[in-house]
Amino acid sequence: MEYKPTIVAFLCNWCSYTGADLAGTSRIKYAPNIRAIRVMCSGRVEPTFVMKAFTEGADGVLICGCHPGDCHYHEGNYKCLRRFHLLQKYIKQLGIHPDRLRLEWVSASEGKIFAQVVDEMTEAVAKLGPCTVKEVMETLS
Amino acid sequence: MTMEKPRIGVYVCWCGTNIAKMVDVEAVADEIGRLPNVVISKNYKYMCSDPGQDLIVRDINEHQLNRIVVSACSPRIHELTFRKALEKAGLNPYLFEMANIREQDSWVHTDRAEATKKAKSLVAAAVNRVNFHEPLDARTVNINPSTLIIGGGIAGMSAALEIANAGKTVYLIEKSKDLGGHVAKLDLTFPYLTSAQQMMKPLIKSVKTHKNIQLFLDTEIKEIFGYIGNFETTIKKEGKDTKLNFGNIIVATGLRPSDASKVTNYGYGKIPDVITSLEFEEMLNKGKIVKKDGSEPKNVAIIHCVGSRNKEQHEYCSRTCCLTALKYANQLRSALPTTNIYELYADMRAMGKGCEELYAATSRQHVMFMMFDQQNDIPKIKQSKGKDYSMLIELNEKLSGEAVEIPADMVILMTGMEAHANAKEIAHSVGISMDGNAFYIEKHPKLDPVATTTNGVYIVGGCQGPKDIPDSISQARAAAARIMGIMAKGSVTVEVTTACVNEDVCCGCQTCIKVCPYTAISFNDEKRVSVVNEILCKGCGTCGSACPTGAIRSRHFTDQQIISEIEGLMSMSLSLELEEV
Repeated sequence: MEYKPTIVAFLCNWCSYTGADLAGTSRIKYAPNIRAIRVMCSGRVEPTFVMKAFTEGADGVLICGCHPGDCHYHEGNYKCLRRFHLLQKYIKQLGIHPDRLRLEWVSASEGKIFAQVVDEMTEAVAKLGPCTVKEVMETLS
Repeated sequence: MTMEKPRIGVYVCWCGTNIAKMVDVEAVADEIGRLPNVVISKNYKYMCSDPGQDLIVRDINEHQLNRIVVSACSPRIHELTFRKALEKAGLNPYLFEMANIREQDSWVHTDRAEATKKAKSLVAAAVNRVNFHEPLDARTVNINPSTLIIGGGIAGMSAALEIANAGKTVYLIEKSKDLGGHVAKLDLTFPYLTSAQQMMKPLIKSVKTHKNIQLFLDTEIKEIFGYIGNFETTIKKEGKDTKLNFGNIIVATGLRPSDASKVTNYGYGKIPDVITSLEFEEMLNKGKIVKKDGSEPKNVAIIHCVGSRNKEQHEYCSRTCCLTALKYANQLRSALPTTNIYELYADMRAMGKGCEELYAATSRQHVMFMMFDQQNDIPKIKQSKGKDYSMLIELNEKLSGEAVEIPADMVILMTGMEAHANAKEIAHSVGISMDGNAFYIEKHPKLDPVATTTNGVYIVGGCQGPKDIPDSISQARAAAARIMGIMAKGSVTVEVTTACVNEDVCCGCQTCIKVCPYTAISFNDEKRVSVVNEILCKGCGTCGSACPTGAIRSRHFTDQQIISEIEGLMSMSLSLELEEV
């Protein structure tokens, strides 16, 4: 069977979730590997959520927020950005390839860009193959 | 908090064929029906229809359901509809979750098996999450019956008068020394060539003398705090701080002409008798159309679309320039009967009541119309000396295909309109969004063109996009009517999904205070814990994700809810993979 990665996405309500909806209303097609979770702001995305997605078996995690300067809550996306850089270093130490975690800015009008981001990430993660953290965790426990 | 065992009802919507064509709704409902705590799992043609909603209400009563999941379109479309259905059945509206299997599934995928698999996983996530939902009580807040209006142009003044005439207080803030904005600088208005001054003077007078309008000229707005019904700000005027409290905000900050010198082909700022439309308007106001040397022009060219409808400047159409240019041709013809008038246009856009008629009337006034290609080939002005001209305009006439040189001794540039340089600051201070051109975004482009996604904040006039006078006034009065409707009701329900602190767990590190963008969290020195001001909190959840001890709960987006959503999402994805193997 052909390997199909599973990607968990955290989308902020105001820009990125709306952008993803716009991709829908515009009938733009993209890879079906993505599973989105809506949060009010990308600043709400806790490192725990990202780790939880990986340990539950996600092969990639995508976080999308408003463009810098456009955050509905002024600066939540900057806080997300700071955490993102730390998280990338952290997951690397756990043996998760840093490219499995991505942060992208998608505005409410960028349905097309959302679709592009999903397709690009699906392709990149597929090349990396399945993420084995879940199995490692299970073996350890 | 109810700790009774969850009894979940799941409803998978077909949305006609919108979902059912790409997702096997029956299979989704079957599979989900086997999940723990799911009492019933159904599929139905249109869940948002009355019979669809009635189905939920009936099942809640018959099967003692206490949690509902609807898997249909985006929650941005029908979350409120279904929450209301829950309320109708006597259930707290927050014991509900939606799975988006239309916008983010059936409409974007082409493989039915994959789309169905994704739908199962999204619905499982919603079911898992809803287990941990808790009832939240809607908060009702009273509406302060005063309104803040930012901008004293035609839109801001119209809205102010509408509200003030209804007996309510208006604080009108204008950054310049005068009321009236751009319209007050105009001589005549299109399409009926009536006097702008005759219209504006009485309007300005009634705003200035109205007992319900408090006017703050030469004043700029800084940060605004609060939420619908209860905003506050402090304004600085003549060194004195004045605190204002108000229930609603109208943003009417308008726009500004774009910089004509950016279109280098026209030599604005370098060639003496190349002027902008506003400069020409000043001449008309003075009643004297003259060149720099004081003599009357013999050959006047009016160039359209300066800074508009071009990828290098602004892609959008500024809407009012074509008609203003036609107005100039008429005014020039009556002031200078023997002068040659050239309208150099890209496309003539004379839409609106009475506007096409003005175009037709102007073309009978011995005005020469010539067309050019705004995208690839705009005219070029070069200085030249000759009888009755100081410039030659090189133009490739689009309709005839001929290259022509037009002699001119005065050129009027119809500059487009653009957002103010400080549009972003205003947007931040009131909490609204801007589009790519820095115009403010309305709540819904068709159904709600005056409200914004921030409750209690309305946008009117040019700050939302280029507009003519009647459109600005219509929008201003619409916003005023909306606000008066809210004031008549006296109260409004506000978001309850704010943060709260578990004082037993809070370690007093104050990290949350540092990350809160609304200064909504303060520190209780006595108890050594953080305290959330729920009036200022807007529920972004940033504090919740920064809290090291888990003391902060983001209501309706709690750690437990999101973690269980992830688990649900992944459990279904993985179990399906196993089945296939």
